Amino acid sequence: MSSPLVPSLTLGLCILAGIGTFFLLPRAQKNVSLRAIGGGMVAVAGVAFVLAMIRWAVGLSGSEGGSGVGASYIYFWIFSILAVAGAARVVTHPQPVYSAIYFVLTVFATAGLFVLMAAEFLAAALIIIYAGAILVVYVFVIMLASEATEGGGIISKTVGKTSVLTDFDASSREPFWACLGGFTVMATMLFVIFDRAPTLLKAPAVEQIPQAIRDASNNLGPTTGGIQQLGVYMFTHQSIAVQVAGLILTLAMVGAIMIARKHIILTDIDGNISPAADASVGPMLDVDDNPHGVEVTGTQNPNQKEYPEL
Amino acid sequence: MQFVLDHSYLIPLLPLLAAVVIGLFGAKILRGASHWPIWLSVGGAAVLSFTLLFSMLGNLEVAKTGLTPAVFHRVLWFDWFSAGQGDQAVSIQAGALIDALSVTMLCVVTGIGFLITVFAAGYMKGEKGYWRFFAYVGLFISAMTVLVMGDNLVLLYLGWEGVGLCSYLLIGYYFSKTEAREAAPKAFIVNRVGDLGFLLGIFLTYYCFGTVTFFGGVEAAGGQTLGFVEMMKDPAAHVASDRLWLLPFIPLLLLIGALAKSAQFPLFVWLPDAMAGPTPVSALIHAATMVTAGIYLCVRCAPLFYAYNEILILIGVLGCFTAVFAGSISLRQYDLKKDFAYSTCSQLGFMFVAFAALSPVAAVFHLITHAFFKALLFLASGVVSHATGGVLDMRKMSGLKKFLPATRWLMLIGCAALAGVPLITAGYYSKDVILVGSFKHSPVLGVMMLISALMTAYYTFRLYFRVFEGPEIIPAEANQQQDEHQHGSHATDSHATNSHAAGSHSVSSLAAGSHAGVHHHGPREPLIMILPLIVLAIGAIFAGFIDYPHRDKSLGAFLGSSPSLSLGYEVAEQTYPGKIQPIPFGQNGAEAGRDEAKISAERKLHNYMMVGSGALALLGIALASYYHLFNRQALAELSRRLGSVIRLLEAKYYVDEIYEALFVKPYAAFARLTQYLDYAIDGAVFAVALVPQAAGATLRYTTQRGYLQGYALSFLLGLAVILALMFY
Amino acid sequence: MSGFTQIVLHHYLAIGAILFSLGLIGFLTRRNLIILFLCTELMLQGVIITLLAFATFHGNLQGQAFVIFALVIAAAEASLALGLIVLLFRQKQTVDADAWRELRG
Repeated sequence: MSSPLVPSLTLGLCILAGIGTFFLLPRAQKNVSLRAIGGGMVAVAGVAFVLAMIRWAVGLSGSEGGSGVGASYIYFWIFSILAVAGAARVVTHPQPVYSAIYFVLTVFATAGLFVLMAAEFLAAALIIIYAGAILVVYVFVIMLASEATEGGGIISKTVGKTSVLTDFDASSREPFWACLGGFTVMATMLFVIFDRAPTLLKAPAVEQIPQAIRDASNNLGPTTGGIQQLGVYMFTHQSIAVQVAGLILTLAMVGAIMIARKHIILTDIDGNISPAADASVGPMLDVDDNPHGVEVTGTQNPNQKEYPEL
Repeated sequence: MQFVLDHSYLIPLLPLLAAVVIGLFGAKILRGASHWPIWLSVGGAAVLSFTLLFSMLGNLEVAKTGLTPAVFHRVLWFDWFSAGQGDQAVSIQAGALIDALSVTMLCVVTGIGFLITVFAAGYMKGEKGYWRFFAYVGLFISAMTVLVMGDNLVLLYLGWEGVGLCSYLLIGYYFSKTEAREAAPKAFIVNRVGDLGFLLGIFLTYYCFGTVTFFGGVEAAGGQTLGFVEMMKDPAAHVASDRLWLLPFIPLLLLIGALAKSAQFPLFVWLPDAMAGPTPVSALIHAATMVTAGIYLCVRCAPLFYAYNEILILIGVLGCFTAVFAGSISLRQYDLKKDFAYSTCSQLGFMFVAFAALSPVAAVFHLITHAFFKALLFLASGVVSHATGGVLDMRKMSGLKKFLPATRWLMLIGCAALAGVPLITAGYYSKDVILVGSFKHSPVLGVMMLISALMTAYYTFRLYFRVFEGPEIIPAEANQQQDEHQHGSHATDSHATNSHAAGSHSVSSLAAGSHAGVHHHGPREPLIMILPLIVLAIGAIFAGFIDYPHRDKSLGAFLGSSPSLSLGYEVAEQTYPGKIQPIPFGQNGAEAGRDEAKISAERKLHNYMMVGSGALALLGIALASYYHLFNRQALAELSRRLGSVIRLLEAKYYVDEIYEALFVKPYAAFARLTQYLDYAIDGAVFAVALVPQAAGATLRYTTQRGYLQGYALSFLLGLAVILALMFY
Repeated sequence: MSGFTQIVLHHYLAIGAILFSLGLIGFLTRRNLIILFLCTELMLQGVIITLLAFATFHGNLQGQAFVIFALVIAAAEASLALGLIVLLFRQKQTVDADAWRELRG
């Protein structure tokens, strides 16, 4: 299929967006106008890309036909624009908290995309885990680990308000090279997807979503919906992976606690080290090979087996 | 005799072994006894040499008519080296050539060498580097014997270089003194110039003749084995015709080497400076033996030299010029040893003139007698410096005849021999023969030599009268030395207030002189130093009789049995037909065939010359006595009137300064230029080395800055490039 | 306008690619350690979208299962990373990524 999304267009749009992002990234010289220009350029590039994609899709449908999935097409555009815009702001916003918030926005948009792809469980899981847990932790840590900036941060004037930033927030490192590299990669990926991929992949796939799932998403009724199928699939075909996932989570929990703990020495009112501290540290025991040499604190329940005599 | 011939290698080997032993053990173990190995080895070598001499003398057949038959023995020591392949192969063997000439030289070298080492044991006593001295002396004597015994030019060159090296080592013996430090390289470098000529001569010899052996060695047409000297009888038969024109250059090049080694003009500048070494060294090396190597080379290759008239003229001119030139400088030298050094140059000039005047026997004769009395003179001045605490300046001492009585008589004998006092000294006879020969060859030459002889007599006795006669003036250092008795070096620097602890010889001192208030802690003229002088003095008086003319077994007749001289006679006959006298070539037998009238004319001339040279010597002595003994004031007036001439003489004709400006300074500038070039090259190499350093530093500072994100960025950029390349 | 309605695989892939690239740029650019990791999460978002798009395309649930595990990993990794960041902050009292360059040279 001929693609109106010619590589040169992709490249040009990427270059434009790249330059825009470059301007948009936080920098020490507070040049609001420059950033505004950058934002404008990105926006323009984004819109142009969208239009080009539309045109491309038009070209597609002209040759093979086929219908979309109802009214879901419009939501795709909404969610995707939200996601991309949110991601752009995550990357370019100087204040860390705002980056986190924008990330939440991106997560919601992504969840919306998931719903469109008939994976509503994953959408819910994404929101619960990412926005509900991970991002909250991020915000906590941002708060915890924030430097005091009273002494002299960098005043950043954004629209309407001024805020004090630390210098590492205010400037970005190697914006030029990063944008160059990143947008080159993006341009290449897009080029591959739109220009080369058709030779590798088959035609649009929406029609081939299993009928059951599609029906479920269209009817929105209680059927063997995606989540049930997913569950069955996971626990029959991926059971070991599930166990391992649980193990990983446990390890992560233990690790996180070990990493970030503080050794606190308990003192009582007078400042003496309390005996509880000694108890928590514990006495050094002599190494003894006798399995019965160490007192095992176990259960007093007589129904339980005792430590076997060897 | 046969034993010695079979074991002729012992003669150089013994002193060499002694030198090695002293070198290894002298510093810690032998120390003060380091002279014993040398005494034993040099004495042994002397014994062997004299055995050879007497047995060869015994076997000498003096021909009554015709040429004396040439007698020589070649003893092969070992194969030295071979190089090249095919028809360019060169193979050199080391062996001994024992004939009258080499045996004579051997006896001189080992005999006088032995006496000097005896003297040196007393003179150098207490020196810190005592063992070093004797090790070097042993090495020297070994090299000198190799030089005179070598049967080919390359072996001779080995000895030549060896004695040059030892001269350097021994001149620089007092390495803490600036003069010694500068004189030693000077001697070596000037000799190097000569060595270059010598080496080129060796190469040319091989190129023309195909051999470097003197006598016997190469198969030639007719089934004989000939050395190149023998080939000179008929060069055209043995040398390729396109190389014949090169032949005259061989003696020229060899001459350059001889000039340097024997301190003739223009390469004599090293000899006076060489007096910075210890006095026994001056006596041994720079009077008796090493400087005679040049004469030896010429006489050994006599046929080669006598074939070309131009070469002989050159030798004669240079020798004569040196004799007069050096003699004139000696007229105004104040340092005893420098006086004798210039005198040595002058006397060597005599020997070269004798050689050029077709009298090789006279040259060798004078060599022998000169060795005796010059060694005597140097050693006597050594005793003087020993006693005066290192002072050798004539202006600072006078009238030492009571202070050093034995030395005074010995010095007198030596001076008389040098001046040529008639009839009673050896020097008279040998100088007389030279004067006769030179006068006969060319009257101009004869007159110049007579002038030089007059000067010799004058300056010699000037020295004697100044030092030993007249009012007694003892330099202050002499008293100091006796009171303080420290160890020190025997400096010829008259400003050094060093002292010498006289040895603990408990032998009776011949210094019966008594100076009130001066305490000796040892004899002023130790026996160990006086005894060799006595022996030398005896030789200086009686050595003249070894060549008393018309004797059967005279020196001349003995030397005439050497193939160098007999062949030289034949070749000279070809070059100067009818003008050669056989006796100066030792060919006493050939005398018989000559014209009687000629012979009687020659005899008459000889007699006139004997009278004349004797008279000249006495005249010189009289002049010296007037100006330096009786009326020293007259000298001051004379000096005032001849002021500029005197200054020129005192400055040694500015020869050193001229050489410095002509050669030394340009060469130093050149060396500095090459040093800068070297910096440039070094800089270029360094700059090349900087490139990877800079590249590495650049990479380090740009890509390895420790930032995690920087590394990630590098990843990304690489990935971007790869992806772009793959898909676009 | 049927092209406008015709949402195909490629669109989702493109969105995934864009999100991933943006996250990549953010990772390389930001100096705040916390935001650094946030951008890592953003990259993961892009990957998740791609995974799901392919799952839908191929019509099976393997992609979705993979996404669940990716979420698990993301959670684990986030917790550990944030713990480490807290430690790092305690060491140098700053969350500036440029503070850690002992491995320079």
